[in-house]
Amino acid sequence: MLYFAELAGKPVVSSDGASIGRLHDFYFLAADQPLITKLSVTSPVGPLYIPITSVKTINGTIILSPDHESVEPTEQELSIRNHLLDLQIIDIKGNKVVRVNDVVIQQKPYYVIAGVDVGVLGIARWFNVEQSLNKLLARFGKTVTSDFLSWDDVQPIELSRGKVMLKREETKLTRLAPEDLADHLERLSLKNLTKILDLLPSTYEADVIQNLNVGRQRDLLRNIKPEKAANILARIDPDEAADILLTLSERRRKLILPFLPPEAKTPIDYLVSLSKTDIGDLATNEYATADPEELAGKVKTRLKIEAAKLSQLSYIYVMNKKKELVGVFNLQELLQQDNDAPVYKFMTPNVVVISLTTPKEIALKKMIKYKLYALPLLNDKREILGIVTIDDLLETMERRLI
Amino acid sequence: MIQIILHYIKRKWARLFIILAIIGPGLITAFADNDAAGVSVYSASAATFGYQILIITIPMTILLALTQEIGARIGIVADKGLGDLIREQYGVRTAITMFILLFIVNFTVVVLDLAGIKSALALFGLSPIFIPIIVGLLFLFIVMVQYKTTERFFLFTIGFYLVYMLSAVLAKPDWGLALRSMVIPTGPFTPRFIYTAIAVVGTTITAWGQFFISSTVKDKHLTVEHIRYNRWEVYFGAFLTDLFSFFMMIAVIATLFIHGIQINGAAEASIAIRPFAGNLAGVLFGVGLFVAGLFGCIIVPLSTSYAFSEFFGYPGSLNEDFHKSRLFYTILLIQLAAGTLIILFPAVTLFSITVIGNFVNGAVLPVIFYFLYKFVNNERIMGEHRNSKLQNVLLVSAGVFITIASLFSVAGQLLHW
Repeated sequence: MLYFAELAGKPVVSSDGASIGRLHDFYFLAADQPLITKLSVTSPVGPLYIPITSVKTINGTIILSPDHESVEPTEQELSIRNHLLDLQIIDIKGNKVVRVNDVVIQQKPYYVIAGVDVGVLGIARWFNVEQSLNKLLARFGKTVTSDFLSWDDVQPIELSRGKVMLKREETKLTRLAPEDLADHLERLSLKNLTKILDLLPSTYEADVIQNLNVGRQRDLLRNIKPEKAANILARIDPDEAADILLTLSERRRKLILPFLPPEAKTPIDYLVSLSKTDIGDLATNEYATADPEELAGKVKTRLKIEAAKLSQLSYIYVMNKKKELVGVFNLQELLQQDNDAPVYKFMTPNVVVISLTTPKEIALKKMIKYKLYALPLLNDKREILGIVTIDDLLETMERRLI
Repeated sequence: MIQIILHYIKRKWARLFIILAIIGPGLITAFADNDAAGVSVYSASAATFGYQILIITIPMTILLALTQEIGARIGIVADKGLGDLIREQYGVRTAITMFILLFIVNFTVVVLDLAGIKSALALFGLSPIFIPIIVGLLFLFIVMVQYKTTERFFLFTIGFYLVYMLSAVLAKPDWGLALRSMVIPTGPFTPRFIYTAIAVVGTTITAWGQFFISSTVKDKHLTVEHIRYNRWEVYFGAFLTDLFSFFMMIAVIATLFIHGIQINGAAEASIAIRPFAGNLAGVLFGVGLFVAGLFGCIIVPLSTSYAFSEFFGYPGSLNEDFHKSRLFYTILLIQLAAGTLIILFPAVTLFSITVIGNFVNGAVLPVIFYFLYKFVNNERIMGEHRNSKLQNVLLVSAGVFITIASLFSVAGQLLHW
């Protein structure tokens, strides 16, 4: 294993002894097997890009064969410094977004990027204090292990180099649940969000988009080409698609609609036309909530008291500290739990929701489709504005239905 | 239900609503500039230099508006904070250096704000022994309470500034001279004066304010359509901040400076609001200083912790649970605890350290400006939203000017020019 922090800045010489410069960067192919193809050297004559085939050894001093030539990197080649180091990646195994502190290179049989180090030692290595830090901590009876993530378990976020698209085989992200990936992607810039979505197989991409919060969905559809937007919408559930479309301005909607394939356009057109009905006035704030960390036993005792004040109680909505809706469970699920089970263990993270622009008809369709008695009404930030219950909804639609 | 009602308002008053929805980062940072560190240095400088100090108000306001707008614009376009960008563009080594620097300057502000709490306690005859207890409660408050609640709570400090405004008017200052002094220098630029002026600039335009605005804007995920609204909010915030500072200084000048009273402690400083508050001046000033101190003690350590998470990518947000972002809270606690230790020394009082503490903040500004300049003119990051020529000229000359002025004033003080 070689660490980039230890290699960067090392002298590069030719095997005939001539000094060439110092190692600056490595270039690699963005693929399942990130093969290192070139190294870049800062030299008195400017930057040199040396193919890895001209490299004799890398350990200690970097020695090149005497007949080496400089070849500009192609668009297929990404660089450690510009696309990986110090940037954020998605840690697929740990299901979180972290920063790369160091890059680990494997030597045999080829030079390959083995993975990244996201731990404290990765930072310490840049200051040559890795050993001292370990010794110091050992004195306090602690050890730090390298926080190594293998290439299979990471997805770089900054992928741009020219117009190159990474290959579709890059499907390791699909190991994450779509709602989890949506959670991570929500925090990225729109540019990176779009790029990562492009990597995903289309059905999975649609799942992820459905799970983004309304604000992010709107930003996304506003900023991508209408064709592309229509393409995404056609792949998701028409109810959801109409719901997302209704959060856009009418002008933007009219740009997107013509690009929908006919089989998707008819139902979506119809659903969008229902938008005049307003769901906001149906919402009630009589609902129960729980904290993800709360224990089932505590929820049970708490609800025993709260239930007296509610006119109905079917679902308990789970909200994080930001007051964002993160999950849901029903009474039946709650009663089956041991008292020491935390809420996040048994809640359903994938919640069926509606927004203020959702037509009543879509709300009803969702209730029937997912067999739910009530749906939470969310704002752009995924906060609950209230819930809409099936009986209230039916009451207002009675005349049309019967 | 309120949000549902807002939805109806939104339909009719979409434009107004957009403005209301994005209000926050710019105004909050603007108000936060008038923390205990700010109140003390505005008072001290005005008591010493009188009308002469007003010459810096106009350039200071322009610079505040300019830099905060750049910081916010970077946050909007890049969807990244200043800490993120420094780390991504310059690597670990620069990130650590910048973090240490930020930690030091923010720490001086924390100490000043704790000193403000100490002075307020002294005004009520309470022992400094209460400070550790207050800080402990404060830490619990930050951990337990939503940041949004905190934000709203501190809008109360505006009341304190209004007291200054009324006092300034009631004290009948020489308005003609005050306005003239803003454009025409009325005294010599001695090293001592420049030193104090940099301290005043340093409490208004702060390193932490720059980090803070870009991260809050990033957290709100404002998109480029918001640039225009956000710009006006930031400009308005800068104007309001300095309007408050202006009246604060006027009140001090009309009460303390013209009678030749030097500020040695909160008791003298409170005289400035006597025209309005009368015999209640001491109490009111005490309460105001206390709240302003608390405000600073929350927002400044927080901005250090936020910057840390950006630099090193650890999960960090006030809205995460304690065990998830332990490091975030540890850094918060270190600043407050170390600050408390320092402040327990009897010799450390707010008005003895206010100028030097704020000077340090002013002197590091050119470094922050350098990064702002680099990022905001980087086409890969900003695309078409790069700086205009005028903005660049202003930013660069401000950086150069502050650097020279800082060196000159320190050299002058050391060599007794």
